Amino acid sequence: MCSLPSLTFDKVPPISLDEFNSDAKSQLSSRHFRLLELVELGKINSEKKAGLKSIAEMLADVQQDISEIRSAKAQNRQPQMAKLPKSLSALNPLEREKLILQWQWEELDSIESGKTFTLTEVMVYKLKLQILNRLHSFDEKKGAQILASVVNPSKKEKDDGRSEN
Amino acid sequence: MAGVKIKYTKTERARQKKILKVSERMLPLFEAMEKSLMATINTIAERIEQLRETIEENRKKAEPWVAVMSDSTVDINEFISVNQIITKSIDVAGVRVKQYESVDFNVMPIGEDTPLWVDDALELMQEQLQLLAEITCLEEQIELLEEELLDVRARVKLFEKRRIPNAKMAIRKIGQKLQDDERLTIATAKVVKQTQKEARV
Repeated sequence: MCSLPSLTFDKVPPISLDEFNSDAKSQLSSRHFRLLELVELGKINSEKKAGLKSIAEMLADVQQDISEIRSAKAQNRQPQMAKLPKSLSALNPLEREKLILQWQWEELDSIESGKTFTLTEVMVYKLKLQILNRLHSFDEKKGAQILASVVNPSKKEKDDGRSEN
Repeated sequence: MAGVKIKYTKTERARQKKILKVSERMLPLFEAMEKSLMATINTIAERIEQLRETIEENRKKAEPWVAVMSDSTVDINEFISVNQIITKSIDVAGVRVKQYESVDFNVMPIGEDTPLWVDDALELMQEQLQLLAEITCLEEQIELLEEELLDVRARVKLFEKRRIPNAKMAIRKIGQKLQDDERLTIATAKVVKQTQKEARV
């Protein structure tokens, strides 16, 4: 852990995930590395191994609240979030995603506190790196291009897909 | 009329009068059709403009959060595609056109681990794609109506510039010729009568 650069929320990730994985593979035992591979942001792992459990709980909390937001929207009511900030529903999708990532970051801070030089700290580091990677993939120009590519398919494609009732 | 040989007969005059009567009755109908087509085309063009404005408004509304669509963990293209645009045939100003009904989308189910922004993006994309599909249908309607308009204009021109003036001219010429013939016949008859009278004396 000492050799890894420190991570700050909303700052450019100082190391790539590939570099981190390659470092981890060379420095961790194969059993620990396999456990580390199970940790993915947004994917809850049911293994009850040390560190994984608290991370899985945190990710499950997020998913539960996201499900509640979706249900509330479908039912046209105010969402009742258990963990995520209440202000979330008033934000635009980008701000909402950033706030969820920030909440996860802070939760990861709590998970790793007092667990210096443990596998949990390495797992948290990986998740934080994934958070930073996601945050820094948000790009207005690229996003606009992606939107345009979906909503402006070529005329030919549209013609091919037309049918009459 | 130039180059067309007129038959100077009463039958031909009657035929030309009939042509004139029909043409004068048809011209206002075609003129009304022309106006109706033009008005319909304008209405459709205005609708297209409104739809384009809505698309632009939606795009501007999404500008503050469009960055999230480049999320490295999601490929939004995989979530939505147009299966088919559903239309129905209707008559607009007497022309058979396809009217936009709806868009049938292929939408991938949203999983629990799918980021929340995907819901908003799919909602926006569906609306934009529906608006674009309606524009495409309306543009095709305009194309068909413009073809019909050209045809109707050609007919109006035909009646205004050729059929009616030609029939009127033919009726006038035949009338004059028939009158001249009648006068000539009377004059000839008078001469013959005079000659016969002088011969008897």
